Amino acid sequence: MAEVELDSVVREYGATTALDGVALDISEGEFFTLVGPSGCGKTTTLRTIAGLEEPTSGSVRIGGASMDGVPPEERDVGVVFQNYALFPHMSVGENVAYGLRFSDPPEGKSKNERVTELLELVDLAGFADREPDELSGGQQQRVALARALAPGPRILLLDEPMSALDARLRQQLRRQVKSIQKELGVTTIYVTHDQEEALAVSDKVAVMHDGRVEQVGTPQDVYREPETEFVASFIGENNRFDGEVVGREGEVALVDAAGTTFRVVAPDATGDVTFYVRPAALDTEAGENRLTLGVGTSEFLGEGARTYGTWEGGEIVVRTGAVPAGEEIEVGFDPADAVVV
Amino acid sequence: MRNADLTDAAERVVLPALGGFAALLLLVFFYFPVAEVFARAFDEGASFAAVLTDEFYVGFLAHPGEALARFLAFCSAFVRNPLVAEFPDYRLGLFGFTAYQAFLSALASVALGVPMAYVLARFEFPGRETARSLTALPFVMPSIMVAVGFIAAFGNQGFLNGVLTALGLPKVELLYTLKLIILAHAFYNAPLVARITAAAWESIDTRTVETARTLGARPRRAFRDVVLPQLLPSVLTGALLTFVFCFLSFAIVLSLGGLEFRTVEVWVYQAVNDLDYGEAATLAAIETAFSLLLMYAYLRYEARQRAASAVHPPERIPLFGSVTPSRLAAWAVCAVCALVFVLPMFSMVYESLTTPVVGGDAVTLRHYAFLVERQATAYSFQVKPLTAIRNSLLFGAGCLAVAVPIGIVLAVVSTREFRGRKVVDTLAMAPFAVSGIVVGLGLLWGLVFGTEITVPFVGTVRVTVSGALAVVAAHAVGAYPFVTRNVAPMLATLDRSLVESARALGASRARALFDIELPLVASGVLAGAAFAFAISVGEFDSTVILASGTNSYTMPVAIERFTGRRLGPATAMGCVLLAVTGASFVAIDRLGGHFDG
Repeated sequence: MAEVELDSVVREYGATTALDGVALDISEGEFFTLVGPSGCGKTTTLRTIAGLEEPTSGSVRIGGASMDGVPPEERDVGVVFQNYALFPHMSVGENVAYGLRFSDPPEGKSKNERVTELLELVDLAGFADREPDELSGGQQQRVALARALAPGPRILLLDEPMSALDARLRQQLRRQVKSIQKELGVTTIYVTHDQEEALAVSDKVAVMHDGRVEQVGTPQDVYREPETEFVASFIGENNRFDGEVVGREGEVALVDAAGTTFRVVAPDATGDVTFYVRPAALDTEAGENRLTLGVGTSEFLGEGARTYGTWEGGEIVVRTGAVPAGEEIEVGFDPADAVVV
Repeated sequence: MRNADLTDAAERVVLPALGGFAALLLLVFFYFPVAEVFARAFDEGASFAAVLTDEFYVGFLAHPGEALARFLAFCSAFVRNPLVAEFPDYRLGLFGFTAYQAFLSALASVALGVPMAYVLARFEFPGRETARSLTALPFVMPSIMVAVGFIAAFGNQGFLNGVLTALGLPKVELLYTLKLIILAHAFYNAPLVARITAAAWESIDTRTVETARTLGARPRRAFRDVVLPQLLPSVLTGALLTFVFCFLSFAIVLSLGGLEFRTVEVWVYQAVNDLDYGEAATLAAIETAFSLLLMYAYLRYEARQRAASAVHPPERIPLFGSVTPSRLAAWAVCAVCALVFVLPMFSMVYESLTTPVVGGDAVTLRHYAFLVERQATAYSFQVKPLTAIRNSLLFGAGCLAVAVPIGIVLAVVSTREFRGRKVVDTLAMAPFAVSGIVVGLGLLWGLVFGTEITVPFVGTVRVTVSGALAVVAAHAVGAYPFVTRNVAPMLATLDRSLVESARALGASRARALFDIELPLVASGVLAGAAFAFAISVGEFDSTVILASGTNSYTMPVAIERFTGRRLGPATAMGCVLLAVTGASFVAIDRLGGHFDG
């Protein structure tokens, strides 16, 4: 049975539709990520689960029970917001202990024991008497996490909790969040606009766009087998080819794109077709389908370079060694590396 | 590069020179006069010990031992039989009463201001922004005009009693009661409390409330645990400021207090009128020392408050819609506000345009005509209305000329980092904590009466300043902090890279100030100027001291002189003043002025 279930949830603000029929099944203990560009409805979805927004129509169930009209304080959730929202007039310890005013600490512990335990869990042992504004952004974020976890919530909701932090700290913290989540086994719903982060930490990912869920799957699924054009272009770098099926050799379709014929594995494709090839699948040495690129710019990445080149069909991005601008290079890909959506 | 060296050198000289000049003006027109009051208090005043042990001034504190004994007697009686124990009847004395009425006024301002903040911060309605800017209006409202408005509204012949009589209800007698004084003080200060509290309310991150909710708190509990503690410091700040302002209240108590109620300010004024300068100086010195102490406490307290900015301000509730408990409360607040804030001003306009006839009021312009006629017929000891208007405008212009440059220079100085900046900031804001009466007295004794200075090789020179110039100086002292307050925040938030870019492109520091910074803060300068003008036009306390027996009287002084048995002339003059003040306020508002003390 799904731990959290959303059934055709619609949320309208006047004339604008923030959520347009969102359906999700999230299993117990899962690390589930909602990813999408800003304005896609991911935060509204999270707030609807927390009870901070009422759906215009549709339903939310937690543990099988309908959440219609259930206020946030009775949903057994813990929330961490992007800006942490620490209570500025309470110490770190008081912040973490706040939820314990309304429910007893789990496992028969005392409040003090629970606060100490949680602060240790987030590596902030001994910080209980500090004031929130004395802490760095990363420390504040961990206090917010400890506070959300202290009452032992059934579901942990994280709303872009890392986006105010710098890249290195973000990586370090997301590993910590992930390991704490695994240790506690708490069902976690994580909202982020960073697709790389989504792929890195999640058991499952829901890609959202314009108030709708485009695709739900494991990180591998959404990366390797995008089901929609939006998912293909949003998750990871991708090269798009628009063409027309002009012939067929069994499972392989012959696709004419910008005057070049490509061989693409696509058993069902007919007529106009769009396929995507990942930059890493484009090889300067091998590949059945060859095309010549005029190199525009090349970005040095340490390990190799990201090179932007143009051909008749538009711009292509490739992983190469260093290539001077203005040169021509030839790249190729195998029919099986093209993903048709 | 020689040029750059030269401009840098000029800049090293020019800015400190301007700052020094501003400091000199303040020294002559503010610190020296205040020092003069203290000096007189020590030289020829009644002895401090005599004042501080006189029951008339300090009430029961004059005999602390006896007061304590009576309190202990009360305690033991209370323990024996709580039902019959009577609390001792302590006399408050002049200082005690002044503090007592200020305390009650602060309470009333909080009681009215916090609900106002609730409506402003949590509700959405057409004209909300306007209502919000109107909370700044009291800063520029001439106190004597407000007093006349209150007499017109709540006096025995006032608008309220007119309505009650028409309805066949008994009259209420509010004039010359402590209630009305406190209501008038609330008129002034509740908007201030509302403004400060609403700002804090709006800066509370809704996410903190939502977090409390998800952690298990019900809405009321979340309000108590999360919202209230974040509001409390602002409420206290507002209350403390209100207490200081009401402790120094003069015109309101003078006009509404009758013979029974007097604050220290009023007593000082009467002592001056009786030429009892010694007593005036001593009382003024004690009062000023006390208010400076309070102001210092306020500044210390305010500095501890963190300046938060709302990342996720709470969503507002539409004010109009189906009846809910919170809407009902908000509507009730609006009704009370209409009574307290609109009625006095409306009554003043109404009284100035009507005259009582049998069976009601008739519309008339004769009170305005009186202002013109009196100009021709006034005896030399009487106030000429048009002269008062002319003086007000002239002094206002003079005040602008002095207060705006001082205010700008101090704003520039206070946004520079240097050692002792805090001291400069505090000294520059001191006029907020010194009453107009004290500044007026100091200027009168120190400059108008003249001071003898011994100049080497020349001998003793007597320096005197004309009454008109002293009035301008007093007004400028009261007005320049508003210029500084309007300009400094804009200068401080100006992106430093703008000036740095200009300098990198070859502009000198001073050049960058004129080319980049001043144009960008122009609206702040103009708003500050409008403030300075409005403050000057409405200033009563120091003007009434400096103008007595001279021709330097202004509109507020004229209003006070006209306040008598008939309300007509005073209210007509009040309406002229209201028009000038209102125009200044519109200018300030349009220019986005900052009001928060």
